[in-house]
Formats: sequence, C-alpha cells, structure tokens
Amino acid sequence: MRGSWRSKLTSSLFVLPYFVCFALFLLYPLASGIVLSFQDYDMLGSREFIGLENYKNIFTPGTLIHDLFVRGLSGTFKFVIYSVPFLVIVGLALALLVNALSTRVQGFYRTIFFMPYAISATVMATIWMRVFDTDTGFLNILLDKMGKAGPHIGWLNDTPWVWIALVFCTIWWTVGFNMIIFINGLNEVPEELYEAARLDGANAWHRLIHITLPSIRSISTVVLIMTIIASFNVFAQPFLMTRGGPGYETTVLLMNIFAVAYGQHQGGAASAMAIVLGLIMMVVSTVIYRLLSGRRG
Amino acid sequence: MRTKINRLLLILLATAIGVMFIVPLIWMVTISLKSDIEAFLPDLSFIPKEPTLINYIEALKGGDLDVPIIRWIFNSLIVSTVGTVLVLTIDALAAYGLARLDVPFRKALISMFLSTMMIPGIVWFVPQYILFQDLGLIGTYGAFFLPATAGVFGVFLLYQFFLGYPTEIEEAAYMDGANKWQIFVRMFLPASKSILWTLAVITFMGIFNDYIWPYYVSGGNEDMLTLTAGIAVMTHGSYVNYPNKLMALSVIATLPILIVFLLAQKSIVKGIIHSGIK
Repeated sequence: MRGSWRSKLTSSLFVLPYFVCFALFLLYPLASGIVLSFQDYDMLGSREFIGLENYKNIFTPGTLIHDLFVRGLSGTFKFVIYSVPFLVIVGLALALLVNALSTRVQGFYRTIFFMPYAISATVMATIWMRVFDTDTGFLNILLDKMGKAGPHIGWLNDTPWVWIALVFCTIWWTVGFNMIIFINGLNEVPEELYEAARLDGANAWHRLIHITLPSIRSISTVVLIMTIIASFNVFAQPFLMTRGGPGYETTVLLMNIFAVAYGQHQGGAASAMAIVLGLIMMVVSTVIYRLLSGRRG
Repeated sequence: MRTKINRLLLILLATAIGVMFIVPLIWMVTISLKSDIEAFLPDLSFIPKEPTLINYIEALKGGDLDVPIIRWIFNSLIVSTVGTVLVLTIDALAAYGLARLDVPFRKALISMFLSTMMIPGIVWFVPQYILFQDLGLIGTYGAFFLPATAGVFGVFLLYQFFLGYPTEIEEAAYMDGANKWQIFVRMFLPASKSILWTLAVITFMGIFNDYIWPYYVSGGNEDMLTLTAGIAVMTHGSYVNYPNKLMALSVIATLPILIVFLLAQKSIVKGIIHSGIK
C-alpha cells in the first residue's frame, strides 16, 4: 500500500492545509515583495513598473528614501553594536551564576531572570518609560534620594543616556532567552571533563577558561547570531519609548520602513528597503558564522 | 567552610540581580494602585499612601478612559485562541506527514520551509499587509491570526518530535489494518501532548503579545485593536498623563500571560531548546 499513488495522495492531504497557508501567507508575500521592490506602488491600487529605481534611490544621496534608509540604518547599527555584547555576555554570566547555585534554588532564579521575556513589548515600554521619565521617573527620583546633585538626567531625551536606557531595558526584557540557551549548553558539558580538571588541581577560573568556554563555543556562536538578528530587528523600544529621538538619534530602520510604507505611501520603496536590510542581515550573520566556525576547525 | 561562604555570596549576588529584574514589575503594580495626583509624586515606596482600585475599575468600565478596553481584551483572547488552535491543527498534520508518511517531494518541501526561517520577517511584512488589503481582510479577525498559520517554527518543532518516534509500534498498527489518520489520531497525538502544549503556549503568547501587525491591520478601527496594540496607541495618545491608568491596563494585559508563563515555563524552555538550536 505504501508508495502507491493512492498512498502518496492521502499522505499529501496531511501536508496540504499547512502548504496552502505557507504558500498564501508567506511564500506569496515574499515573492510579491520582490516584485513590489521594482514597482512604484501607492499602497492603494496603482502600480507601475520602474525597474531598479527604488534600489537606485536607496543608494543615491539627496533623495528622501536615501536619507530615511541611511538614518535608520545608522540607528539600527548603533543599537546592534551597543546591545549585542551585553545581551550575550550578561546572558552567559547569568547562566553561569544560575548553574553555580545549589540545584534547589536554580529553578527559582532562572524563572526570575527569564520572566520579563513573557511580557509584551508595549507593556515593557510602558513600564520603562515610567522608570526613565526625566521629571518623575523612578530612576531619577532614586538618584535624587541617593544624593546626586544637579539637574535630572534625560534618560529618554539626551545622548548618550538614551542608548544606555534602551540597551538596559532590552537586556532586562530579553536576556533571559539567551540565558536559557546557555544554561542548556552548560548542562551538556560532560561532567568527566570537570572531574579530570579538579584532579589536576585546576581552580574555578581555570575550569571556566579551559573547559566551560571552549565546550560551549558552538552554542555561543548560535546565541551571538540569533542576538545579532534580533537586534537588527529592533523596533518596539525606540518606536514606543523615544519615538526615534532625540532628533533622529534612535530612529531605527524598521521605523523608517514603516514610515515609507504607511506614511509616504510608497510600498515599492519600503519593500526595496526591507530587502536590502534583509540582505545586510544575512551577509553579517553569514560572515560572523564563517569567522567563528572557521577558526575552530 | 569556604564553599559554604561561596554559596552564600552567590545566592546574595543572584538575589541582588533578581531584585533588579522584579522591581520594574512591582513598580508597574504600585503605580496602577495610585491616584492621579499621587502617580506623579516623587515617592519611591512600593505601597501607595492611599491605594485605590479606581484605575482598574475605570479601565474596565470605561469612565475617564474613553477606549473600548473590554473589547480589546475580548479581541486579544479570540484572536490568540483561534490562532493557536489553527496553528496546532495544521502544524501537527503537516509535521506528521513530513516525518512519517510518503509525501512526494518531502525533502524539497522541508528544505523550502526551513530556508524561509533565514529570511527576516520585515521582508514580507508590507507585501503581507497588501495581500490582506487586497483580500479585503483589513480590520477583520482573520487578518490577526491567519499569518501565524504560515509560521515554520511549529511544523519544525513537531517534525523533530515525530521523527524520534519508534517505528515498530506504528508498523504493528498498520499490520492490524489501521490507516494513517487513525494512527495519527490514536497514537501520535496522545504521545505528543507535552510538545503540543509547548507549541500552544509559545504560539498563544506570540499572538497575544504581538502589537505591530495588529496595530496596522486593525485599519484604524479602534474597536478592532488588540489589548497590546491598544496600549501601544495609548502610550502616545492623551493617556501619557495618566501613567496610573496605563499601568492598570498593563497589569491586565500582563497577568494572564505571566500566569501561563509561570505554569508552562518548563514547556517553553523545552520549545526554545528543541527549535533550531540543535
């Protein structure tokens, strides 16, 4: 019965519903996005084929699309550079900390550090806007009470504070995810390696440097790349908390892609911008993956 | 002795960091219990001087807050529930087919599904919106949950689980004359309860917490916002001056998801670890 055309047909029926959804809601938008990037589309109905014009605009200084793209990309790049090292290192540090605790309390602390991950972006932003508020925010009042003199810090209004604030709340919000993956990686390091090192008289620091870190190398690469991709996709924090300010300092590319699509009504240009961003993300993550996995072999 | 002191220091460190993680959440609850005036006082005590539930009552009854919050809660629950049921159903069927059955072009399908995981969502966000516009679905419930049905994550998660299922019992069932559907329903579904639960929780939280897509596909109709998208709109509207009311809403939006999270934490961790990491 298996292998016959009838069997193949009934087997296909299991995959069919998903295939239809996948084709309609993912594959088709993907393909039509590529087509759209070669068109002028006002988001309402009129489409006109304009070849590479959208891409040319992105790379031609002086055009509106170029300004929005470069400004957004620079904000996104800054966020990636500021946030990724912290998200990875703090994630690893928390994982090491949790693993070093006695098994009885591990679960409790793991839950605490992971909990903010469950919260929606809008609630996260609402909370931290109240913490970072210049006049009546938790942090500035706390600094007042601790005896800090002088005017309040504009956590969400002034550079460089605004980046510190955005990176800090991002760590709070998402670092638990990285921690969970690191904990899993740490648990898979064979216990015998540690036993052997202990017999050789290696102290905790040596065990970390010579056994733990080399053993979780590949999982660290995965965490690093996932974090880079997530940070390239940054949107909620600046969109909700700073509106891209001060000036255009924290305006990230996703904000400008939405602005071009829904504000400027230029669907084609927005699609081209998104595709270029996608390509940049893929190139960056591939290069980093090659660099890190190449050195190991 | 030394290890004991070390242990203690580690617990102290973990507790100090833990406090930093918890304080913002407690602060959210604190502000939500404050009156309009007290909300702006430079006071750091976690218990308000005159705690009040007025913000919750107003949030749920309307009152000063002239937004349809009950409707938003309803929308969020409907959309997340329907989306989760749909995703679970079609993903389980597809994963079973791909993992255990003689589906033509099986390998090609799997690599096609997987390869889209590499592509960032922003690439299809705008064209997907245009698709829903062309289908006339902007401002309808369908627009909220249908995109989730295309997600690859669930298929991949269940596919990996079904792959690891031993063949012997399945073969025996075929010998007894059972067909694919019966084997799927009677053997595979009951055996995969825990992984299905994992996928359900992750999917539900994903749809419930998302706000960018609902924000745009609501089509500017306030009644068709979800709770999270609604709060996003309110943070920039006239409610900026009512942090206590915003916080009450935030608590309402967070409580159910936090309870689900705490109950299902093990499943979520399992889902994260089993997907794409290995």
